[in-house]
Amino acid sequence: MTNRWKNISRAAFAAALMLSASYAEAAGILTIGRREDSTTFDPIKSAQNVDNWVFSNVFDVLVRVDKTGTKLEPGLAESWTISPDGLTYTFKMRDAKFSDGSPITAEDAAFSLLRIRDSKESLWSDSYKIVDTAVATDPKTLTVKLTSASAPFLSQLALPNVSVLSKKAVEAGEEAFAELPTASSGAFTVKEWRRGDRVILEKNPNFWQADRVKLDGVEWISVPDDNTRMLNVQAGQLDTAIFVPFSRVAELKKDPNLVIHTDVSTREDHLLINHEHGALAKKEVRQALDMAIDKKSIVDTVTFGIGTVANSYIPKGSLYHYDANYQYPYDPAKAKAMLAAAGASDLKLNYVVNAGNEVDEQIAVLLQQQLGKAGVTVNLQKVDPSQSWNMLIDGDYDISVMYWTNDILDPDQKTTFVLGHDSNMNYMTRYKNDKVKDLVAAARLELDPTKREAMYVDIQKLAKDDDPLDRPLLQPLYQRLPQGHREFLPEPARPLLPRRYGQELIGSFAPPLS
Amino acid sequence: MHRYRFVLTRPLQFLPVIFGISVITFILVRLIPGDPARNILGTRATPTAIANIRAQYGLDLPIWQQYLYFLKNLGNGEMGKSILYKIDVLQLVVTRIEPTLALVLSSVILSVLIAVPMAALAARNAGRGPDHAVRIASTFGIGFPPFWLGLMLMILFSVKLDLLPVSGYGATFGDKLAHLILPSLTVALSLSTVLIRSLRAAMIEALKSDVATAARARGMPESIVFWRHVVPNSLVPTINLLAVNIGWLIGGTVVVESVFALPGMGQLLVRAIFSRDYMVVQGVAMVFACATVLVNFMADIVTVAVDPRVKL
Repeated sequence: MTNRWKNISRAAFAAALMLSASYAEAAGILTIGRREDSTTFDPIKSAQNVDNWVFSNVFDVLVRVDKTGTKLEPGLAESWTISPDGLTYTFKMRDAKFSDGSPITAEDAAFSLLRIRDSKESLWSDSYKIVDTAVATDPKTLTVKLTSASAPFLSQLALPNVSVLSKKAVEAGEEAFAELPTASSGAFTVKEWRRGDRVILEKNPNFWQADRVKLDGVEWISVPDDNTRMLNVQAGQLDTAIFVPFSRVAELKKDPNLVIHTDVSTREDHLLINHEHGALAKKEVRQALDMAIDKKSIVDTVTFGIGTVANSYIPKGSLYHYDANYQYPYDPAKAKAMLAAAGASDLKLNYVVNAGNEVDEQIAVLLQQQLGKAGVTVNLQKVDPSQSWNMLIDGDYDISVMYWTNDILDPDQKTTFVLGHDSNMNYMTRYKNDKVKDLVAAARLELDPTKREAMYVDIQKLAKDDDPLDRPLLQPLYQRLPQGHREFLPEPARPLLPRRYGQELIGSFAPPLS
Repeated sequence: MHRYRFVLTRPLQFLPVIFGISVITFILVRLIPGDPARNILGTRATPTAIANIRAQYGLDLPIWQQYLYFLKNLGNGEMGKSILYKIDVLQLVVTRIEPTLALVLSSVILSVLIAVPMAALAARNAGRGPDHAVRIASTFGIGFPPFWLGLMLMILFSVKLDLLPVSGYGATFGDKLAHLILPSLTVALSLSTVLIRSLRAAMIEALKSDVATAARARGMPESIVFWRHVVPNSLVPTINLLAVNIGWLIGGTVVVESVFALPGMGQLLVRAIFSRDYMVVQGVAMVFACATVLVNFMADIVTVAVDPRVKL
């Protein structure tokens, strides 16, 4: 009976067949499991990581981040010059083609850059307001004038959202393009998008580095449930998957068919403190809270030893990270004394927690216990992520934990958000320090890397002193990829190495092991 | 034929029901704290960017005006534009109906295939061993949460035995069928327990009825008495129970779709709620509501057809 049942199902179901017989044909297609499916193929209309991973498979950018994740390298722009005042950038375009065979020109590049700035539907307009004009002076030369000098500008061009799109293809119909782009400038073209299920990509033979792309295709498959996604990898039905729950890593490592990769990520989980709420306005109180928290034990418990305690808002491994930054010691007794001295010995805090998020909920319980030992009463208010975001923007919280991943190589993006004193109220903390504010603005304009690094070290030290934002709780090694039957490591973290799969990593692709 | 007159008049009663549901979902989804524009923009939620998004999607208008636009769109066969996916909601929903419909259909068929023989076995052996066995088994069926049951089935049939796909949907008919086996089994195992209980009770009742006694008096063999007289007479309450459960199932596919990564409307709804994609929540709720109303209508027709005594 078992055999007959087995035969019937194998004969009838292509999926089962594929697993047993046709590995050879499927060898060139990499299947990657992720939580959510894409939402669009128009890069300017999304700010979601899930989309950016696919954008960087399909579209190329003018300037790329290299595989070390610390330097920029030429992409579709073969080379560039910057005027001494830092206002004019002249890019020389490489000889490259879109997947439909038409040449990629400076006209397309200018179009893409102006579109992300001007389109009503662009979610990135504000980031590109720095662009004054972008003109194709000839088919191979793009001249960009900025409204003011900007050190992070080149880094910003590496963002998948500002990828070079075919002007002709987009203008033929924006909505159709967003559904299924007819021309791609990157390593793969979009063959099919089964909404809610998967994105099927096929190698783009016209890609200018097509000889370095060893895969025939990639399928990004949405499997929302963490356990189901892991079972798919264990059963060999997915080659690899991202977002492995911390709690499963140790067990999955024991599976001889799987390889778990842990990479340094730019994710940091921050403890946000509302500087406008009562005693929290005092620097000493914020420092005392930091000392009352045993960060090491939180990180070890929550990440099962995979994460590390972070000591700067610029994550370890990123440009201008200051490794020698001061770390407040864990000292609940001193914390208690400091709170008493600041007149906050019976501090009561409302902690807004993202309900349903395993990591956030665990951190919340641990923080509540630890702060309790220092005499701080913490009330946990669990709300869904969309609501907690709303409460943070409205300042309707005392403390909360949120995480950040870098979008670009340059530290300016995160620095502006957490310390730039702009409309985001410094990561919603309402933090104010004019010295820090001025330094952030000056560092953006400073074009000499050595001087700039020194400025960022100063910012990190200053922020460490009075803004607990700079006391991120943990920096987990975020991208944990159990590996199925193939040697492949995509780098889905959009901050670093957005181009990896187009090159080296696809280069290391090997046939299935089993 | 007058027994079927309700087929013509009943749909008129649906209009106020659907209208009521549209008002309730429209208001409820806006009452959940959270903001679609802030959510979609994330860390880029500057006041100008938020205002821009709100204007684009009409979220800056008074709520009654937004509702009128929603009705106007419905009249034009549109459901507004999704803030997350940037396309028309109807266009989006249409791509997601099939997996949900297939899941509901296959689950119902499987439930009936499990429930009828089990209930018959129990009813014909009422109070004896097989009856107890069926009743104990069905108690377990109610106790297992679907997400856990689904995972167990996956581990057994997909990982250990390597017979069926773990999750997903597939492209061809056979492929889809293979992908539907485990999720519909998960649903059927809990749905059939409810049916078994109702059906067993009705069958025991019918076995004692005058119809059955009269049939036996005419010398009919017990198995014919059972299948020809008892079963049809015990179906009516179960059909209605099934209809109510299908209504519940249409909304309840959310969990099973997530566990088995079926790209259906349940998953679409969950993501839409989390991102406060109002238009999509409204659209999916409307489709679910219409489907539930339709299923109950069909159950009425079937009840009338099965039992000549019923008048509606």
